[in-house]
Amino acid sequence: MSSASPMISVRNLWKVFGNNPEKVIGSPDALLTRTELRAKTGNTIAVRDVSFDVAPGEVFVVMGLSGSGKSTLVRCMTRLIEPTQGQLQFEGEDILKVDNARLRELRKTRFSMVFQHFGLLPHRKVIDNIAYSLEINGVKKDARHARANEVIELVGLQGYANAYPEQLSGGMQQRVGLARALAVDPQVLFLDEPFSALDPLIRRDMQQEVIRLHHELGKTMVFITHDLSEAVKVGDRIAIMRDGAIVQIGTPEDLVANPADEYVANFVRDIAKSHVLTLKHLARKAEPGDATDGPELAANTIIRDAAQVILQSHKPVRVNDNGAALGIVSSEDVLRLISGGA
Amino acid sequence: MKVRKSYLLLASVTVWILLGRLLNGTHTLQIATYENTAFTSYIGEKALDFRGNRTESTAFIYFFNPIRGAIDGFVQIIRNLIAVPAQNSVIPIIGWLGVVAIVAFAVYATSQWRTALLAVSLLLACGALGMWQFTMDSIAMTLAAVLLSLAIGIPLGIWAGLSDRVLKIFTPFLDLAQILPTLVYMAPIALVFMIGAASATIATMIYSIPIAIRITSHAIRNLNQAPVEAAESMGSTQKQKLTKVQIPMAKQMIVLGINQTVMAAVSFVVIAALIGAPGLGKPVIEALIIRNVGQGFVAGFAVVFLAILLDRSTSAAAKRQDSFIPETEKQIKTKRITLIVAGILTIVAVFMSRTMLWAAVWPKEVTIAPQVAKVTNDATAWILENLTIFTVGFKDLISYAFLNPLETQLAASPWYVTVAMIVALALIIGGTRIAILSFVLSMAIVLSGLWYEAMLTLTQTIVGCLLTMIIGLALGIWTGRSDRAERALRPFLDAGQTLPAFVYLVPMLGLFGPTRFTAIATGIVYSIPVVVKIVCEGIRAVPHSLIEAATAAGSTTRQIITKVQLPAAKKTMLLATNQGLIYVLAVVVIGGFVGAGGLGYLVIAGNSKPELQGKGLIAGVAILLLGVIFDRIMQAGARRSS
Repeated sequence: MSSASPMISVRNLWKVFGNNPEKVIGSPDALLTRTELRAKTGNTIAVRDVSFDVAPGEVFVVMGLSGSGKSTLVRCMTRLIEPTQGQLQFEGEDILKVDNARLRELRKTRFSMVFQHFGLLPHRKVIDNIAYSLEINGVKKDARHARANEVIELVGLQGYANAYPEQLSGGMQQRVGLARALAVDPQVLFLDEPFSALDPLIRRDMQQEVIRLHHELGKTMVFITHDLSEAVKVGDRIAIMRDGAIVQIGTPEDLVANPADEYVANFVRDIAKSHVLTLKHLARKAEPGDATDGPELAANTIIRDAAQVILQSHKPVRVNDNGAALGIVSSEDVLRLISGGA
Repeated sequence: MKVRKSYLLLASVTVWILLGRLLNGTHTLQIATYENTAFTSYIGEKALDFRGNRTESTAFIYFFNPIRGAIDGFVQIIRNLIAVPAQNSVIPIIGWLGVVAIVAFAVYATSQWRTALLAVSLLLACGALGMWQFTMDSIAMTLAAVLLSLAIGIPLGIWAGLSDRVLKIFTPFLDLAQILPTLVYMAPIALVFMIGAASATIATMIYSIPIAIRITSHAIRNLNQAPVEAAESMGSTQKQKLTKVQIPMAKQMIVLGINQTVMAAVSFVVIAALIGAPGLGKPVIEALIIRNVGQGFVAGFAVVFLAILLDRSTSAAAKRQDSFIPETEKQIKTKRITLIVAGILTIVAVFMSRTMLWAAVWPKEVTIAPQVAKVTNDATAWILENLTIFTVGFKDLISYAFLNPLETQLAASPWYVTVAMIVALALIIGGTRIAILSFVLSMAIVLSGLWYEAMLTLTQTIVGCLLTMIIGLALGIWTGRSDRAERALRPFLDAGQTLPAFVYLVPMLGLFGPTRFTAIATGIVYSIPVVVKIVCEGIRAVPHSLIEAATAAGSTTRQIITKVQLPAAKKTMLLATNQGLIYVLAVVVIGGFVGAGGLGYLVIAGNSKPELQGKGLIAGVAILLLGVIFDRIMQAGARRSS
């Protein structure tokens, strides 16, 4: 799935908290459960031997329950937390080897981060919050305000430039957080549970907003969440974390169709399959008696989107994958899937 | 386990009492006040030599004397500005009208006109009490000490806020400063920097810098970390993070720290009159020495007014900003115009105070001091005459019921019996290490030759603490359980904590005369607020669900207090007792010179009588040792109980 040269490449990354963290890695202790390890050595493994690539322009979601290590992982990727061991490359540059000056340079120009609790500066107006990273980049006031106003427009905050964060609702504050992250035109956006602190309706709006921004700007995103439906909605690929390790990486369809283990299966159980799976998943050989001259649909159409056509058609639809016929899907097949069968 | 511990305590106390009775009057190590031991006269001579070295030793010439000179000069500049005439002039640079105008302007600019009005009234009242120049001297001293304290304390506090290691290094010193009785370090400082404004300023700084450090580092450490992390994620340097994020966010809390620093400084500046601080402390001490309660009240009121003035004006500045949203353009504009007008008026007033005599020197005719003195003297006389049953009766009750027996037990028993008792207590409550420490420190007091005086001070401290705890626990439980009680008592508790303890001596002297009971009563009044606050917080910290469960099980109120709230808040109770002891000790020793005797008297006498200087210095150390013994045993007890 990842392209030839990934934007970010993570290999065998570990983060162990506590004294002498290196000693734990590779020792038999690393196999203990968290409680056992804490009792024995006082260490906690937050990130355990994690490897993945993020392709340019991709939205890569890291999904896990609280304590699974996802927030530590995203902080390790920008070295807000120093990883204990592993490799981390950004456009081929070894991030773990760069000095502090270069790291700041990267943070100022290439990476941006959006936080769960917004992290806005309470003593600054919206516009000066957004212009903060330009300010520390040495951009003159007029120029940085001009740029900040552009981003304010982009995220739909017109008219709030001179407000203070505490005058805004949570959703608005996170728009400021997004705008601030976009102000320096970074290559990668790291979003750490950006919408978890928002109420459900606002959260849905903001998810749409992220999808829209992704379409408009095409930024690479690493998106952390504990909410699978959010992950499915925004993610191109999803990594599921448990106890610091990645259990499975795949497209939403992969996860729903082929969960790697019981844990993932439990997670995806509540996801409406018709919202995730494509016709490819349902296509079957035509049996005697099936009409084979129904309407034709592409194999990568989401079932939900195809449902209306299929249910209204008197004949099963034919599924076409780049010209090759994969088979047919009938109304019964769709209904069986929606009602919970396979 | 718990039962065994209390049996052990009971047993050792019984043995102690029996042995004390049996061997009563032997090996008490009592010496006359003016008698020196070989050790105390040796220290006295050393101190004299040390003092003589002032013009010869390099440490003095290149270190202590320049510091003294610089601080003296700094204080003198501020004093010349508002309090005393400079060398070639007859009036201070700014006269009373100018000072009043500047204070009004400054308070108005940082808070609101109502606070400014209060500040002006309080200043004028100080003038009317005939205390204008003393008040100005106290303000000058406080200002000098606060400016220097903040210049040192805020940067160190920020440093300690940013670095765990620095905080770890500072913590023992900050803790020590909290238990150090103020009287203890005045004499050594005066020895190095001479009696005068410099010594007083440095002693005040030692008292107030730890407060500035503590609050500043607390402010930096307890910020919402999300914006700080966000700033870091955007590539801020350490310096940018500090100046653009952490300090602006912590500003409000730091201003609160300034308020606390000012209050600490003003209360110390008054006591520092004992080592030559100019200002309101002087008339208070004079009045206490000649036992003139009326005069003491006049000066005491000025102290209280000054404390309220400084507290209101600085805390209003801290409270004013309860959100980060600044005022609107229009509000800023209106405020700017009024400020300009007020500023012009202030300049006019200052100019007048430099050119017209009536505005420069407080007019002598405008005074209510004689009336205040008369009224308070009459009131005291009336109380003494008509309420003897309460004053003398209470005093005698406490004296015969607690003070005398305990003093006999502590001071008239052989020293080794009491040392053994202290070590036994430490062993049972705190364990082996604390016992060894207590033994070493007690023996140091024994060897210092001031054991007998130390036992007098110990007696007064224990009785004071006992009464404090009885009253403090009752009030603390009451305020902890009732919001209304808390609201009603809160102003008194706050006032009790802000006012300089020293002035409480004045009314106590009026009520109880020059006795050790005066010192104890002052100590009690001073320490009750802090005990009540700690107990109240402890009671309130008991989870509501516990009380609900106990209520649901059908407990009576008394059962809830004794079986749920007190046991759950046990650790806090012990900490409150510890604070109570330390506070009582600090004040009881100051009471030394209104008739309480003991170590405090020796410290104060050592300041003025050269032949007692050695004894005074050692007495200071002995007070500190007593304090450390208390503190260690109680802290260990609190640790073990949790």
